[in-house]
Amino acid sequence: MTIWDRLFNIDRRWIFLLMGVVTVVPFFFKMGLPVITTEEVEGIYNHVDSLDHDNAVMIGFDYQPGTMAENQPMSEAVMRHCFARKIPVFITAFWPLGNGLAEQAITTLTDPAKPGTFQRVRYNEWREYDYGDEELPDRVTHAELVELWERDHELREDAMGWVFEGVDYVLLGYAPLFHIVLLGMGRSITSQYPSDLYGNPTEDMPIVKRNKSAREVDMGLTVSGSSTVLSWLTYARESYGMPIAFGVTAVSATDYLVYIQSGQILGQMGGLRGAAEYEVMLERDDYAVEMGRAFMGMDVQSIVHVLIVILVVLGNIAYFAGGYHRKGRRLKAGR
Amino acid sequence: MYDQIGIWVAAFFTLAIYSFLYKENPVYRFAEHAVVGISLGYSMVYVYNTVLEPRLLEPLFVRGQIALLPVLLLGLLYITRFFRSVSWLSRYPIAVVFGMAMGLSFPRTMLSMVLRQAEATVIPIYQSGYAWHDVLGSLVIIIGTLTALIYFFFSKPHKGWFFGTGSRIGIWIIMIAFGATFGFTVMGRISLLIGRVQFLLTDWLHVIQ
Amino acid sequence: MKRTIPLLIVMVGGIMMMIQFFIPHQISQAIFGLYTDYVPVISGFALILGVGSLTRVHYHKVRRRADNWQYSLLVIVTLYLMPVFGIIIPASIGGQAEGPSVFHFLYNYVQIPIQSTMFSLLAFYIASAAFRAFRARSAMATVLMLAAIIVMMGQVPIGDFLGKWFPATGLWILRFPNLAGKRAIQLGVGFGILATNLKIIFGVERNWLGGAGK
Repeated sequence: MTIWDRLFNIDRRWIFLLMGVVTVVPFFFKMGLPVITTEEVEGIYNHVDSLDHDNAVMIGFDYQPGTMAENQPMSEAVMRHCFARKIPVFITAFWPLGNGLAEQAITTLTDPAKPGTFQRVRYNEWREYDYGDEELPDRVTHAELVELWERDHELREDAMGWVFEGVDYVLLGYAPLFHIVLLGMGRSITSQYPSDLYGNPTEDMPIVKRNKSAREVDMGLTVSGSSTVLSWLTYARESYGMPIAFGVTAVSATDYLVYIQSGQILGQMGGLRGAAEYEVMLERDDYAVEMGRAFMGMDVQSIVHVLIVILVVLGNIAYFAGGYHRKGRRLKAGR
Repeated sequence: MYDQIGIWVAAFFTLAIYSFLYKENPVYRFAEHAVVGISLGYSMVYVYNTVLEPRLLEPLFVRGQIALLPVLLLGLLYITRFFRSVSWLSRYPIAVVFGMAMGLSFPRTMLSMVLRQAEATVIPIYQSGYAWHDVLGSLVIIIGTLTALIYFFFSKPHKGWFFGTGSRIGIWIIMIAFGATFGFTVMGRISLLIGRVQFLLTDWLHVIQ
Repeated sequence: MKRTIPLLIVMVGGIMMMIQFFIPHQISQAIFGLYTDYVPVISGFALILGVGSLTRVHYHKVRRRADNWQYSLLVIVTLYLMPVFGIIIPASIGGQAEGPSVFHFLYNYVQIPIQSTMFSLLAFYIASAAFRAFRARSAMATVLMLAAIIVMMGQVPIGDFLGKWFPATGLWILRFPNLAGKRAIQLGVGFGILATNLKIIFGVERNWLGGAGK
């Protein structure tokens, strides 16, 4: 048995162990290598940055927990951008499991234990509050509500601002046959979602009163780990012209660049790198006080990529040096 | 307290799944089966709470919107699938949902995935301000798309200067595309692992910020 | 009644919705409205099929005491435990994902970690495959491997650190040759969808009818 035979017959669990160690150790040595932004992600960021409270964005949590490590930072980054710019956000989900991920994203962005988050006020809380002599306007805006609310409430010192459920966002959640739901929302949002995820009637909500159908939404971001993104393109963009942006896992990212070149989508965040780019821009423009998890993961990502390249090169050296490329010299299957 | 217990439970299951890397074991199997039940059970709750109840049952039975009765009946016909003698009835809701969905899809897919894509392939090779690599890129897009399409076109034998040479160039383009996809697939899988390690080190052990 | 009428419903509905796109007449618009309003609700019932099948499969395993039947029991218990906590005890769901609730606990601290960890296992297998299977056996395989390595290194910050040409070449590969290859594939997928649409509308493709009651 030559050294090459031995190398190829190594128990694969040693490779697993090496992989595990190389993924854990770099977390303790922060390199903070810069992440350079690309026009694919800038396309989304600049579009969102041009919107304000008179516009609206729809974010589709069209993924499941399996890919949340890649997708969740994307949703959170864009939602943070919207909250900071007071852009109303409609939140939907292609799959039922997306509901919980959307709830988690809102909870993370409004976590009082973390600096630079937002202070959330639930729908019933501000709706049923006694404002004294003041009448609550029917289509109350964020600024109007803040003025009324701050008479009796104080914003947390390290918070980035208020977020009112029903004004700044509404969690619509999952509905079956979502591509048809997208078509239906082009007529009216309440026809598809008479109530939000918590049973509050959507027709009473200022966010819905100000944006009655998806035609009035200025960007649809679909964050997904599968080809469901194409539903948004086919049923929202081609039906009523909603500008679309993709947030996709790295596995499918290379497939959808064609839609950027054709001008059908504003841009695309591909994998953890895409989310990290968005985080870099958020921090640059003071929409975030610190980098998010995607950026934090990029150092480790770098090191593991180097490991993978080394493994490929080593595997090939062993393959050729061991003469396995010659006919008759077969490689024994390892464990 | 609630969160703390939750994080410990989550950490337990994370490690239980990783134990599979060493050897298959009962804890892994337990976790594997638990998710099947939980995910479908979770879906049941939301389909009832946010769809069937507010959009059908409440308006029909509480507000008396009789017009919704056909919707209820069509929906219930799905259940006939479980009874062999009447299972053909389940074709009705499927037919209603399916037929129109196909009709809705056709023109829109034609636009989004075919016409606009074909249009985007007919691009100028050179415009002022283009660097050499942009010119080369435009050429690659035009020739590459055409030749890759030729490669996928199996109705004609891949022979002669057009189909033969075209498909030979096409396969090289496809190989580069697959290479890029492989690179991204590696990146994606590692990102998922990074996500779990971040959970273990940050939320569970608090050893990093 | 068993086959013809469902096929006819599909054909008429399909053609009508195609025409609706080009000629949005009042009547077709009204049907379109009814369809988009109620079809998601009808589809909600399809979940019963999933729940029914899963219950049946695992119930039989438990009843027959088949190998590892205990796991089947677990599937059934978790499947029905969720609605018990979510619907029958509505306080559990109550709109407060962050508050104590068995329903959310099972999702947040059992479902999420298990599912996301399962997906992340692939990272280990891909590392093993990189070492054992990714070979430059031929010129084409070499090109594939080089493209993969350049793109992979170009996507991470360390690639930028090693040399500016890494990300620049990586992006060029993504934006041009990769795009050309993927466009051919996407066009193929598009034509495939169109063909399926037409085949179903005109009754050429009938698998959706299922086998029962021919």
